Amino acid sequence: MNEPIKVDIWSDVQCPWCYIGKRKFEAGAAAFGGEVEVEYHSFELAPDTPVDFAGSPLDYLAERKGIDPAQAQQMIERVTSIAASVGLDYDYDHVHQTNTVISHELIHFAKSKGRQLEMKERLLKAYFVNGEHVGRIPDLVEIATELGFDRVEVTDALESHRFLSDVKADVALAQEYGIQGVPFFVIDGKYGVSGAQEAETFANVLTQVQSERTESTKDSE
Amino acid sequence: MTEAMTAPLPIVQPLQQLGDPTAAACEGDFCAIPEHHSQAVVNRKLDDDAV
Repeated sequence: MNEPIKVDIWSDVQCPWCYIGKRKFEAGAAAFGGEVEVEYHSFELAPDTPVDFAGSPLDYLAERKGIDPAQAQQMIERVTSIAASVGLDYDYDHVHQTNTVISHELIHFAKSKGRQLEMKERLLKAYFVNGEHVGRIPDLVEIATELGFDRVEVTDALESHRFLSDVKADVALAQEYGIQGVPFFVIDGKYGVSGAQEAETFANVLTQVQSERTESTKDSE
Repeated sequence: MTEAMTAPLPIVQPLQQLGDPTAAACEGDFCAIPEHHSQAVVNRKLDDDAV
């Protein structure tokens, strides 16, 4: 029996291509059909963003990037349309631009319970679809409690920042790999795939890894 | 697809890059939209008679 193929994914909660890329990767993994093990890693796109940024993503693009509001609106509409093509209903009118470091701590908390994938999906949905705030501890505790985690334990983990060092370790590992943008997929520890690639691309890379393993096994027999 | 319980390899090897190098990604606090994506959206709107 083949060992599962390990896929390490660097991603941020407020990265629109990360959620779209997640859907495309999942479709690619399903098309591949073999065993795949996924581990998400933290990446902070804008670590200096205040938790309570006063404004919409449109304001953020205009203020931080100096993009004309009309152009920023057009960009948001394009991303929303591409998200819809993979079944994601982005609601930028209700997105709360924020600092995501504590949401990354929550993902690491969930990972410590063997439920990282569930939490990652829930936080992406919270940010892009549900219009929930993913930067404040009370809001994150509500999300975790809804998923069945212990309220007291989650609150303690987030208030003590017990998992902050894990977040920073992920960011440091990304730097070691030379990762500058997300989503970024490290497949079997040797192939790097950057961005929201088409599902077929992911399926092809996974198939290639599987074939190489098969060849390697034959050679060693 | 299952959840990995193992930590990533501690020794970082140089990665061989695969896939489309122009695929959409977010870098810094900016998420660019590649041209082919823009065209795909326009095509979809044309298909939907929205343009």
